[in-house]
Amino acid sequence: MTVIETPTEVTNPDPDQTPARRRRRRRPSLAMSFAVIWLGTLSFLAVFADLLPFVRSTSRVRGAGNFAFGPGAEFWFGSDQLGRDVFARCIYGAQISLRIALFSILTALVIGGGLGLIAGYYRGWVDRIVSTIIDVLLAFPALIIALLIVQRTDALSDQFPDSFGWLSRTRAITFVLAILAIAPLARIVRAQTLSLREREFVLAARSLGARDRRIIFREILPNLVPAMMSVLFIGVAVLLVAEGALAFLGYSVKSPTPTWGLLISESRQRIEEAWWATIMPCIMMFGTVLSFNLIGDRLARRFDIREATL
Amino acid sequence: MRYALQRIGQFLIVFVIVTFIVLVATRVGSQDPARDLAGGIASDSVIAQVNEDYPYLDKPLVVQYGYWLGDLVTGDFGRSYTLNQSAMDMFQQRFPPTFFIGFWAIAIGLLLAVPIGVYSAYRRDGWFDKIAANTSFAVISFPPLVIAIFLMYLVAVRTSAFPVDSNYVAPWDSPIDHFRNFFLPSTALGLGLAAIWSRLLRADMILTLQSDFIMLARAKGVSPRRILWVHALRASILSLITSVALQLSGLVGGAVVVEQLFAMPGIGDRLIFAVQSNDLLTLQAITAALVGIVVVVNLSVDLLYSVVDPRIRAARSLR
Repeated sequence: MTVIETPTEVTNPDPDQTPARRRRRRRPSLAMSFAVIWLGTLSFLAVFADLLPFVRSTSRVRGAGNFAFGPGAEFWFGSDQLGRDVFARCIYGAQISLRIALFSILTALVIGGGLGLIAGYYRGWVDRIVSTIIDVLLAFPALIIALLIVQRTDALSDQFPDSFGWLSRTRAITFVLAILAIAPLARIVRAQTLSLREREFVLAARSLGARDRRIIFREILPNLVPAMMSVLFIGVAVLLVAEGALAFLGYSVKSPTPTWGLLISESRQRIEEAWWATIMPCIMMFGTVLSFNLIGDRLARRFDIREATL
Repeated sequence: MRYALQRIGQFLIVFVIVTFIVLVATRVGSQDPARDLAGGIASDSVIAQVNEDYPYLDKPLVVQYGYWLGDLVTGDFGRSYTLNQSAMDMFQQRFPPTFFIGFWAIAIGLLLAVPIGVYSAYRRDGWFDKIAANTSFAVISFPPLVIAIFLMYLVAVRTSAFPVDSNYVAPWDSPIDHFRNFFLPSTALGLGLAAIWSRLLRADMILTLQSDFIMLARAKGVSPRRILWVHALRASILSLITSVALQLSGLVGGAVVVEQLFAMPGIGDRLIFAVQSNDLLTLQAITAALVGIVVVVNLSVDLLYSVVDPRIRAARSLR
């Protein structure tokens, strides 16, 4: 990777970079430690949920129905109306919520990033087409297109189980969220590429006779990675929230399969008697979204990317 | 002027593509559009009626779109046979609640964001700035759904000040009842907006306050308050305006969710019903209206830029 430090950055230090500040910055802040520990624990629990002895299965436990247990030693997060362990459902919900969010953001990153990259690099008519696509996607009321696609894929897989049977709700949701995330990602990558392609190292590569493909993959793409990392984290946070909204409207994964949004909307009518069944998934969702936002924001500030806020 | 026309052209293209995609999407997996319109298990007479009103439903999609657009231009948004109501009537009935939720959400967002953003930038890294920065970061991470649920069950259910099932009351009929019905749903959406916007405004204000013309104003002896609220705010409000316009289409989604939770009889209810029953024309009408609003607002914001910022006016007239 050939990153050339421009001399201006060296001789013109940021006034914020006093030695005291720099020393303080080296120590990981409280917020960052929280974010990393939270996400680490959560992904460990979610990945190994089946193997860990203290995570129950999500099946019903006899005698725990009708919110019989509050949070305590027996049921960490209490039990829900049908006698299922809320903690276990939160963990299995994390599995599905995170998987949906991750897969869709990665899909969007490949498609949106690719579009933004070629639009920003080639400019001209390619750029005009891609920009129109971005405008169209941004003008779409996200919720309408999400509801519509989920509903139509449902209809398709009902009517043609042979050819569209693989199109489960999980896949449909992943697909929808990916489409929604394409436009912002493409816009950010395009803006970054537009400024990168004018940099000296691109000029140097071109004067050495490098082809477009080599410049894109070896010069520009590596320099996009930091921005992409920060967008990735913030994007996951946004998509987790979006999945919650869809679940609330009844358009996420079908009922017994837990996702956080579903857990939140499921028991909310009985919140007065059993706050834990609703508040605990809320806390899980909030903590996770907060952690992703914190890491994303930290990366964005570290690499000085302004447009990264989705 | 040339610039304005160019932008209008672009936005028209976007509008046409979006509405066409919705038309295509509603037809996917629908073998008999007329039957869907009539409501699935409808009698033959209703289907015959649909076919009589809309004889073009078996034509190619592009032709259908042409007919639909023609109707739209003449003010006919189509009708819903399952609800036995024209889309225009539905809008008159259902649009005001959604509008007021969004309107007050934006108002709450701006009322909180502007003072917080300006003061945080003015006393940068002071105690107020730090508290505001951390709070807004936490609020951004709260999904609107979670905020709405908290407001619903901690405020609406426990106190009698706000109704649990909201109703639409026009502000000119009874301002107090209007406030009681709309305060919680709008706050649920407005808090998140306030957090985003105050961060945005703070960042812009900090840059503006370092620029030369602020120094000049200070040297001239303009009072700090005037510098802050007139000179600096005017120069840094641009990206705030852009963000208001950009958040609009997201706000529509948020409003639908909040409406469902607070049982507000807005357009979201109709939207979900139309999606479930695959009521093509209603769906297209709602999308067209919402996309139209979003597009028009974005367009006006774009044109507003040059009013707010003379620098942009100058740059555009050069081209």
